[in-house]
Parts: sequence; C-alpha cells; structure tokens
Amino acid sequence: MIAWRVVTCLLAAAPRLSAQGSFARLAGRIPPPALTAIDSILVAAHREGLPTEPLIEKAFEGGAKGVAPDRIVLAVSMSASQLRSARALLREAGESQPTDPAEVTAVAAALGRGLSPELVGELTAVLPGEPTGPALHAVADLVGHRFAEDSSVDLIVAAAQAGLRGLRFLDVAAAAVQDLQRGRSHAAALAHVRSLLPNVPPPPKPAPAAVSRARRVQPGPERP
Amino acid sequence: MTHIDPLLHRVLDGESPSDDLTPSQREQFAALQRAVRLLAEAPAASVAARVMAEVRRPPRSLGQRVALWLTERHAVTISVRPVWSLALAAALAAIAVIPARGPGPVLGEQEGIAQFVGRFPGAKSVEVVGSFTDWRPGAVVLRDDDQDGIWRASVVLPVGEHEYMFVVDGERWVTDPLAGRYLDDGFGRQNALLFVRPLAR
Repeated sequence: MIAWRVVTCLLAAAPRLSAQGSFARLAGRIPPPALTAIDSILVAAHREGLPTEPLIEKAFEGGAKGVAPDRIVLAVSMSASQLRSARALLREAGESQPTDPAEVTAVAAALGRGLSPELVGELTAVLPGEPTGPALHAVADLVGHRFAEDSSVDLIVAAAQAGLRGLRFLDVAAAAVQDLQRGRSHAAALAHVRSLLPNVPPPPKPAPAAVSRARRVQPGPERP
Repeated sequence: MTHIDPLLHRVLDGESPSDDLTPSQREQFAALQRAVRLLAEAPAASVAARVMAEVRRPPRSLGQRVALWLTERHAVTISVRPVWSLALAAALAAIAVIPARGPGPVLGEQEGIAQFVGRFPGAKSVEVVGSFTDWRPGAVVLRDDDQDGIWRASVVLPVGEHEYMFVVDGERWVTDPLAGRYLDDGFGRQNALLFVRPLAR
C-alpha cells in the first residue's frame, strides 16, 4: 500500500500523455481512480524511449480481470521497471541502440519468466543485432522443465552456431522436452537433441480443415 | 344326372336335323340351346362385375396413387444427341478423377493458427481473452459441440508472442494448464504464453 502511494505521488506530477491518445484508450477500460496514475507512468516511459504498448496492455488486462485500481497501477509500474531493466541489459550486452520495442519487450518477458540477467546477457551477445525473444523463451522453456540453466543456454547457443534462428529455437527446446517425456534423462535428452542439430523436427502443419475453421474466428481488438 | 334322349343328343351334336324331333323334344332342344347361350355369355357378365366393383371402390389417396405410379411400368423415351452424351460422360469422369480441392483459405505472411483446448465439464461458456484481443472479452469463444466437457477453438492470430487466459462462464479466469509456458500477470495469477508461427507454405 505504501509502495502504491509512493508510486502514485511520484507519477501524479508528470504531464499527461493525452497527446498520444493513451488517456482516451484507457478511459472506460480501467477504473477511473487508476487512470491518472497510469497515464503518468506512460508519459514517463514515453520520455525514456521505452515501449508503452506493453504497459497499456497490462492496464487493459488489469481492468478486464477486475483488479483493484491500486494493484493495476502497481503492476503497470512494475512492467515499466522490467522494460527499463531489459533495455539496460541490452545496452550492456553491446546493443548500442536498443530501440527495437519488440526486443526490449521480449527481454522483459524473459526476465519475467525468471531468467537471470546474466543468462539473458549471454544469449543476447551470441545473437548480436538479431531478435533474441525466441532464443530466450526456448531457454526459459528448458529451465521450466528442470534442465540446468547453463546446459540449456549451451544447447541454444549450439543451435545458433548450427545456423538455426528465430522460432526454430523453440523447436530445439520442444525436441528436448519431448525426449524427456519419452523417458530420457535430462542429460540424455540434451545430448540427443544436440546430435540432431540443425535438423530438429519442425512443428506439425495444421490441416487445411483446421485453417478453414480458424479463419471463421477473427479476433479484432478495437483500437479507438 | 339327367337322361337326354339319344335323338335329341344327335340333333345337339348336329348329326341329325331338328325336323326329326317331336314337339316335346323341340321344347327340350330350345331350352338346352338357351342354356348353352347363357354359358357362352358368362365371361362377359364376369367382366362387367369386375368393372362395377372397380367403379364402386373408394378413390385412392394421393400417396397410393404416387406409389402405384412409381411401381408400375412406364415407357420413357429420351432423345439425346451423341455429342451431348459424350460431354456428360466426360464431365462425370472429371468429377470422379479430379480431387475436390478449392483454392483453400489464404493466410497472410504474418499470420498463423492458434488452437485452444480446455477441459471444463459443466461450463456454460468458455472464451479466450488475451493480448491478441487487447484483453477485451467476447472475441474468441470456445465450443463444445459434442458436450464432452472439452472446449475448443482455432483462431488466426498475428505471428509472435501472446499472453492469454481462459474465462469460464464469463467470470472465472483460469490459466491454461496445457500451455507449458507461463508468465506472472502481476495480479497474483499466471498468464499462459503462446508463440504463433507463420503458416508454412
């Protein structure tokens, strides 16, 4: 509660972001008591050059889930801090201009999934100038299945050295997890997938009928 | 059995002229001739009876008339030029040989398919709400057509990373237990994490 009051007091002084239309987007989607504080967080993030879309989405999420206004403000504020840390990490890893909002968001999500900043920095250094989100999430998937952090990073680095990029890193993690589910030990699964590189199995293609069905449902988020 | 005079018998058989008969025998001869005529007319009387029975029968219903028309034999004559016969045969062969494949659904290069499955027995409604709907409910509704408690939906989404949760009966937020990837939502729960791939061509 004290933290929320501090955040609110600090941010209430910031000018509003009405010029960017965020205030209008937030109105009606989040409780009115949280509106001013969140708008102030967005203004501060915008000034720092951080991506604001993940913060707006977090506010929408809190509003949709019926969360109390102070908790929404706190969650948005924490998301901003995570984005700030992610950008700092990218700069430390050698990214001179980490201006790609998607990259900052991906690194923030990886930190949110529990990856250590050191590990994130190591992976970012392996893929300079390339999207690191899938590689980070592949490692997070492996760690989530109790593979050792350093072994997981080694596997993904080996996959990158074997020429794999982007979402193919997720196939590497999926292959290791499948081996685990088939009864192999963690070490055996990692060794087996490493021996397959770069030819890990791709995900199955959806059937044409599934594509037809999927086409009938199109989520269209309304953006005023 | 009635006895017939031999002379009368011969006259009936045409072996003797009727002039040889006595007056009483002539009366018998005339009676016998009437009987023969009646016997000869019997079939005509039978046909009339059948016709009358048909006339007196109550009219058939529409269903009976249709059934009768379908089961009776009809002569049908179709006059077709040979060229049309050949064209029809070619069309039927084409339908049988060529597989029925249309152009198929088209997805954009930055679109992929996400399939959502959840087990919610007894639920009245299940939907997916996430970053791809701006966390706005009502956009992606799951269905349980066979009412086995397994709710499904397939949806086209932009390629990339998305967070989502199930909303059961419009109020209960549930984390997808099958997602495999999770992220704390900052509100004390966990969002499922989804990566949508571009559909391979």
